[in-house]
Amino acid sequence: MELQLGLALPPPPLIPIETFDLNSYGNYETREALGTNALSWPLLKLGPADNDINNIHHHNSSSSSSSSGGGAGCKKRSFDEAPFFDEKRNVPKTLHLLLWTNQPNDEDDDPSNVLHENSSSAIFKNDGEGLVGWPPVKTWRKKVHHQIPNGGAENNCLPAVENGIGGRASKSTYVKVKMEGVPIARKIDLSVHHSFEGLTNTLMRMFGISDGNRKSFKLTYQDREGDWLLAEDVPWRTFIRSLKCLKLIRSRG
Amino acid sequence: MHKKMAFSFPDEVLEHVFSFIQSDKDRNAVSMVCKSWYEIERWCRRKVFVGNCYAVSPRMVIRRFPEFRSIELKGKPHFADFNLVPDGWGGYVFPWIAEMAGAYPWLEEIRLKRMVVTDESLELIAKSFKNFKVLVLSSCEGFSTDGLAAIAASCKNLKELDLRDCEVDDLSAHWLSHFPETYTSLVSLNISCLGSDEASFSALERLVHRCTNLKTLRLNRAVPLDKIANILRHAPQLVEFGTGTYTADVRPDVYSDLAGVLSSCKELKSLSGFWDVIPDYLPAIYPVCSKLTSLNLSYATIQSPDLIKLVSHCPNLQRLLVLDYIEDSGLEVLASSCKDLQELRVFPSDPFGAEPNVSLTEQGLVAVSLGCPKLQSVLYFCRRMSNEALVTIARSRPNFTRFRLCIIEPKTADYLTLEPLDVGFGAIVQYCKDLRRLSLSGLLTDRVFEYIGTYAKKLEMLSVAFAGDSDLGLHHVLSGCESLRKLEIRDCPFGDKALLANAAKLETMRSLWMSSCAVSFAACKLLGQKMPRLNVEVIDERGPPDSRPENCPVDKLYIYRSIAGPRFDMPPFVWTMDEDSGLRLS
Repeated sequence: MELQLGLALPPPPLIPIETFDLNSYGNYETREALGTNALSWPLLKLGPADNDINNIHHHNSSSSSSSSGGGAGCKKRSFDEAPFFDEKRNVPKTLHLLLWTNQPNDEDDDPSNVLHENSSSAIFKNDGEGLVGWPPVKTWRKKVHHQIPNGGAENNCLPAVENGIGGRASKSTYVKVKMEGVPIARKIDLSVHHSFEGLTNTLMRMFGISDGNRKSFKLTYQDREGDWLLAEDVPWRTFIRSLKCLKLIRSRG
Repeated sequence: MHKKMAFSFPDEVLEHVFSFIQSDKDRNAVSMVCKSWYEIERWCRRKVFVGNCYAVSPRMVIRRFPEFRSIELKGKPHFADFNLVPDGWGGYVFPWIAEMAGAYPWLEEIRLKRMVVTDESLELIAKSFKNFKVLVLSSCEGFSTDGLAAIAASCKNLKELDLRDCEVDDLSAHWLSHFPETYTSLVSLNISCLGSDEASFSALERLVHRCTNLKTLRLNRAVPLDKIANILRHAPQLVEFGTGTYTADVRPDVYSDLAGVLSSCKELKSLSGFWDVIPDYLPAIYPVCSKLTSLNLSYATIQSPDLIKLVSHCPNLQRLLVLDYIEDSGLEVLASSCKDLQELRVFPSDPFGAEPNVSLTEQGLVAVSLGCPKLQSVLYFCRRMSNEALVTIARSRPNFTRFRLCIIEPKTADYLTLEPLDVGFGAIVQYCKDLRRLSLSGLLTDRVFEYIGTYAKKLEMLSVAFAGDSDLGLHHVLSGCESLRKLEIRDCPFGDKALLANAAKLETMRSLWMSSCAVSFAACKLLGQKMPRLNVEVIDERGPPDSRPENCPVDKLYIYRSIAGPRFDMPPFVWTMDEDSGLRLS
């Protein structure tokens, strides 16, 4: 890709008419360079306002040849006097780092190809739910949706969605713990525990499960992929690294 | 003849005049008139707004405005709400608190949005500002209830504590008991984001009882229905109320208690909360519905018939947030009952489902646009749209100032004609001349951006996803939208050319976000090198951008203007392009 540095202050010297002066807003030369007539865009059938679009197109095509280079020079502002960026003032219109030559995007770095390549490596799936951040609902809103009565079955995915992958919760050492049959979740600080023994002790205390009843509960956890696993099946380090949330379930048999 | 310049009023007079000017824009304009006005204005500015905490340093703000009482700061870019900004990116408030704590102890108000707030910061606030009155944390994170306890214990004059949409480490609900028994000045409390751990109901009750000026109370989900009656009994003067959970063991007497206590709240104008609400218990709020101007049902998983019944009791409604369970039929009833409606937000109940689970289409939005003459702000999630509907909406409602449409499946075409939705959105920008905020979705080509660049002259914020064909699209927006301040783009085929050709425009905007687009590392370096008043941040979790070819696109790009220069609190996956990034021309 060719980069032409156009840092010249007005009047820009020797810019042929065919190259496009981006200093005047609403400039439609770009379209003309493509060889398409401005009016070839199908008109919006908007009734009385139709004329607006026609007028804009006419106006710009006729004014294209008269556009001169560059806006007014911008006044220098020293930083301690400048207001905090009042947008209406002195837009430095002359500074552009690339003269728009408007080659159609059929060069070697075709954006759509690049985008595709980019997508597969950079976008990671959000718990198998699709693209990251799409649809654009805030993390905490996702909690609601899994409350939908799902044939009456309690939806076990709730805690995972609440934490969200790659979301803000990942810095915290606290994870949510739910116990089967108890509607309200608790939180536990993982950083103070170093073994399953210690963790189980804390959980038993937290949910008021007596020593005698310990055997009737199993500790399960949901990992980053969204799968529910038995905690006792994996080494502590694996458990700590991949766990998103915990659940105590009653063991059957 | 000796001419005396007649416009020099004594400073005190000017200061008095300026005290009536509250908006930042106007204050900034005033300060530009002449040097002496600049000086007078800066000494009497009481409220400072910093839209990007990295655009300026705390020291610069304090130096210029030595006597402000209230500050508002914003940190992370908006797309952080959707997990697009990796954890650790930045937005730490502590340096600001530390500088302000030293500079003047008479700070009264702090409002933060999308910033990282630690317990240390909260403790410093509690310790440093003796007359602290207002703490509003919106979409912030990084703190726990311990920090809140510090605020509660020390801030004797606290009037407002609002934690909307924050992520808080809920260590203990007992932080509420740290408000001393002598403390009575609370006017507004929003703890709706706090977790579901057991809450200290008696502390909450006592707090509400003794704070007789309490006007806003938004509870969290942990507070069950049977406790709410007790709390509300002490606060009949409430104007805004957010319920806790609507379940727990609800008995008939609890229900009638609630209905009774609600009807004694004669000032109530806004309701929210409604977690786990069961339709049978909704009628408890009917007594207050006729006065309601704001209703947030976005957590209420109740179906259309019940929503319709509720909404028809609220003729004075101005603001409604609701799930798409309301369906087209419910929106039609809304359109005929609520003629004062100004803002509507319809959220998806099942955003990740492949098939629609409710009958909510573009028709609902059309109905509301046709029926509600004052409607000006809309956020609408749906699964299908047509150009015809958008044109109808635009023509009937030219007073839109905020129009955010999210068609759930990316690149969805007009379902009637299978064409792109360019013409429809074109109509929106053409008819709605005061449009300040726009979010696009659906199948869109470069044409829609041409319409936007042509017509959207007052547009300040634009959100774009999965749209456009080429750099021309971005070029139209950057060269045409005169009022543009914030532009956020994801997954669009926009590359280097439009960005470099409009480099100067970026200095007139607050910020530009581009992720999963086609901007190369080389272009980022060039921008960073040539534009010293821009911070060009490359965010890439794949590793250093210079470990890949220069023409390789960066994952995420965040460009914002700044007079503070590059920041130094970046995590390892963020690089700022500056004058030293070597420039290699291809």
